[in-house]
Amino acid sequence: MNFLIVDDSAVMRRIHKNILLENKIDESQIFEAENGEVAVKIAENEDIGLFLLDWNMPKLDGLKFVQIIRSIDRYEDTPIIMITSEAAKYNVVDAISAGVTNYVVKPIKGDILWEKISRYIK
Amino acid sequence: MKAKYINPFINATMNLFKDYLGLEVKSGTPIVLEDPQALDEVSGIIGLAGETTGSVVLSFSKDTAIKIISKFAGHPYQALGSEVLDGVGELINIVAGNAKKDLLDFKIVISLPGVITGNDYRIHWPEQVPVISVPFITSAGDFTLNVSLKDA
Repeated sequence: MNFLIVDDSAVMRRIHKNILLENKIDESQIFEAENGEVAVKIAENEDIGLFLLDWNMPKLDGLKFVQIIRSIDRYEDTPIIMITSEAAKYNVVDAISAGVTNYVVKPIKGDILWEKISRYIK
Repeated sequence: MKAKYINPFINATMNLFKDYLGLEVKSGTPIVLEDPQALDEVSGIIGLAGETTGSVVLSFSKDTAIKIISKFAGHPYQALGSEVLDGVGELINIVAGNAKKDLLDFKIVISLPGVITGNDYRIHWPEQVPVISVPFITSAGDFTLNVSLKDA
């Protein structure tokens, strides 16, 4: 199963990647994108089983990315965990309405995030 | 600026540095920032828009920024490189995004974060809105949280 980490922050991508590596996910299964636009291209060319997605990003943000990815048949039900600093209730509602599977507010401890990720691992 | 608008930012900062990063943290008495140039060498800034406008800045010395981002990323940075600056942007993003949930008077959109470095810069804060500066003393070094937000 492949993972795609979508975040414009290199530090956040490092943190999330390390959580996957610490939990025995092989490096070859982990893809990274610095914005939604790059992420769409990777998703079109690879078979992604889980998205770890930031909200606020340049070029194409997380919500617009969700709309595009959900319009691709094979990603209709693929789990998308949105990991964002956006903690207001109206943000959560918007994200779930757009098609996000799980919503996580940063900062989040690695073991708690992994617990959420592991629910979707096949 | 109403006092109730500064508390969500203080709480979000405490949550990030104390509960998440596990640092010993004490916050000092908030003051009105009289000299807008009195900020440290590394400042993460984020703009607030929507039903109000304002800005939030976290300001660190270079050494404190490196220490805190090393702790945040779980990676030992030695210098103020692009990833440390990126990390400072992420910290202000988390503080602003987390504070939104307790700012119930308005619906706010946050900008992408920016990071400014140097010894002689001036932030042009919103006019006629005071900038409230809160000092934080931590085991990784001191920093300030600076908030300017128009009343509803």
